Amino acid sequence: MTQRAIRYGATEDEKALYLDLVKKHGSPLLVISREKLLQQYNTLKQQLPGVALYYAIKAFPYPAIIEILDKAGACFDVASAGEIDLLQAQHISGRRTIHTHPIKKDAEIRAALRGGSTTFVVDNIDELKKLLPYRQRIGVLLRVSFRSETTQIDLSRKFGCSPDSVIELVEQASALGAHIRGLSFHVGSQSTLPKAHVEAIERCSQIINDAAAINPNPMDILDIGGGFPVSYNFEDMDNEAYFTPIREAIKQYVPDGIRVIAEPGRYLIAPAVTAISSVSGKAKRGDYQWYYLDDGVYGSYSGQIFDHACYPLQILNDEAQREVAILAGPTCDSIDIIAEDIELPKLEEGDLVIGHMMGAYTYATSTQFNSLSGASIIVI
Amino acid sequence: MSDFFTETLYDPLGQSFRIDKLYYEQKTEHQHLMIFHNAFLGRVMTLDGVVQTTERDEFIYHEMMAHVPMFAHGNAKKVLIIGGGDGGMLREALRHKNVEQVTMVEIDGAVIEMSKQWLPNHSQGAFDDPRANIVIADGMDFVRETEMRFDVIISDSTDPIGPGEVLFSNDFYAQCKRILNPGGVMVTQNGVPFFQVDEVRNTAIRMSASFSDQTFYSAAVPTYYGGIMTFAWGSDESTLRTIDLDSLQQRYQQAGIETRYYTPEIHRASFALPRYVDIAIAEAKA
Repeated sequence: MTQRAIRYGATEDEKALYLDLVKKHGSPLLVISREKLLQQYNTLKQQLPGVALYYAIKAFPYPAIIEILDKAGACFDVASAGEIDLLQAQHISGRRTIHTHPIKKDAEIRAALRGGSTTFVVDNIDELKKLLPYRQRIGVLLRVSFRSETTQIDLSRKFGCSPDSVIELVEQASALGAHIRGLSFHVGSQSTLPKAHVEAIERCSQIINDAAAINPNPMDILDIGGGFPVSYNFEDMDNEAYFTPIREAIKQYVPDGIRVIAEPGRYLIAPAVTAISSVSGKAKRGDYQWYYLDDGVYGSYSGQIFDHACYPLQILNDEAQREVAILAGPTCDSIDIIAEDIELPKLEEGDLVIGHMMGAYTYATSTQFNSLSGASIIVI
Repeated sequence: MSDFFTETLYDPLGQSFRIDKLYYEQKTEHQHLMIFHNAFLGRVMTLDGVVQTTERDEFIYHEMMAHVPMFAHGNAKKVLIIGGGDGGMLREALRHKNVEQVTMVEIDGAVIEMSKQWLPNHSQGAFDDPRANIVIADGMDFVRETEMRFDVIISDSTDPIGPGEVLFSNDFYAQCKRILNPGGVMVTQNGVPFFQVDEVRNTAIRMSASFSDQTFYSAAVPTYYGGIMTFAWGSDESTLRTIDLDSLQQRYQQAGIETRYYTPEIHRASFALPRYVDIAIAEAKA
């Protein structure tokens, strides 16, 4: 279990901002910072120059975020017709998407085509065959699996073909008249060491070179996925240390003429969103002081269940006298606990609890359990 | 800077149109529709990222799809159009004076209303013709359920990726056969074979199951780029397809219809297909 990071106290500016937002918009809130989102995007552009960034909409599927990234020049990674609808609503062409879900129903493929999304990812021959009715309209990326021990969420178990089977799939695809545009991989989410990306880039580059001999059309894309980590403990990420090996691997291994793209989700949005919740009630039960918040794991903190996340919390009150407390969410379910065994100063009803790094897989996986409407989303 | 609409039909390539003025954009219940002005093409309508029709070249499509079956038939009184919400097909069919009624079945009433407002040159008042019978319904449901009978059926559908999928099915062709009068003919738009030869193959197989005489004819519509497009042809009366030039000329003159693309000579020639299409059909039917 990851250690929970807690910050006690806040600057006067922070306090004023949080209180003002709650006064204006109520509580609970998810606050999207335009500035922070753009800062993350620009940092990634600088760290991976020449790499086209496809925002993984699934991380936080929300119009304002799409709009900000669209204006910044991002493309989009979509995995469902609903995500394509979000783009269409903002007049973003399907040309600027890739459809990355390796397993699809026919209806999903057709909906994607109608939305103008024509580049698809597959990882096996059966899925490739589903694309054949549309083979004259589409391009295909083969997803290759690389197991990694350094990621928090292993995405190469559920999806991806083994590197050794790629050449055979390329042969089968070209015999069936489908155009393999390139390879993709996803080392996993919150991949804490760059080694996984570096090894996968090297191996995929070799495969692309090997495939050139048998693929009738040259490949043009290497999709290095996402998984770029963010810090959940108030420490600054050493971006330079993390991205330099990846940048150098791209330079060293990727063949000429291959366009490298990436699918960042968490990296772009996690630091850009802050949750503001307030204490709705409290109770002393045994040795523990319970505080009940107006947001919890069925709401914005859903990532603690689905994303294995442990969000850094901030309490505005920095009194030195603290007691062991439990922060619980607003639903009736006993699982709805945000943090246990943490030391908190005395809180009163209405006091704010701030969740940081709350952009990725928070709103995205929140529910309406107990018919609670959830946090309001605002953009600052 | 003007915006451009870039078609999303094919992954490796796509044509772009400058949007000089956007008249209308909406996601309707069934599809995403846009109508804009382009300096060369006039008004352009797109559905789901694909160009459907433009004022500049719509005459080619509509004349060839309406007049080829109707002059081949020679005495069509009852005509059925499936789709065709822009009204262009209705307009061409109604130009035949002897036609008693043209029934047009469009799934999406919004397309008709938008076309009347923003593409008035397509219908040119055809929706107000007393011989026009406009039905807002699913084309498949209509052909399955109707007791009406027709001499010519024209399926003016979207491509088979969209809601028009069912209009490319065995069942649809079988139901059309059921509601055709003896000696009748059905035609359908069938895509650009240079890019979508599978559509020719599929239709050849499926339509042949219902009609003893099944083939394709063609026309080049510039904004459906990729060379010729095909129209599928299904009838149990093979003499409709092989009608001689003299008879066509006679019918054309008697009709007194002023056309810009269609001529009896083009009509005859349009049944000659490039060899790659012939081969695809032969392979499919083998």
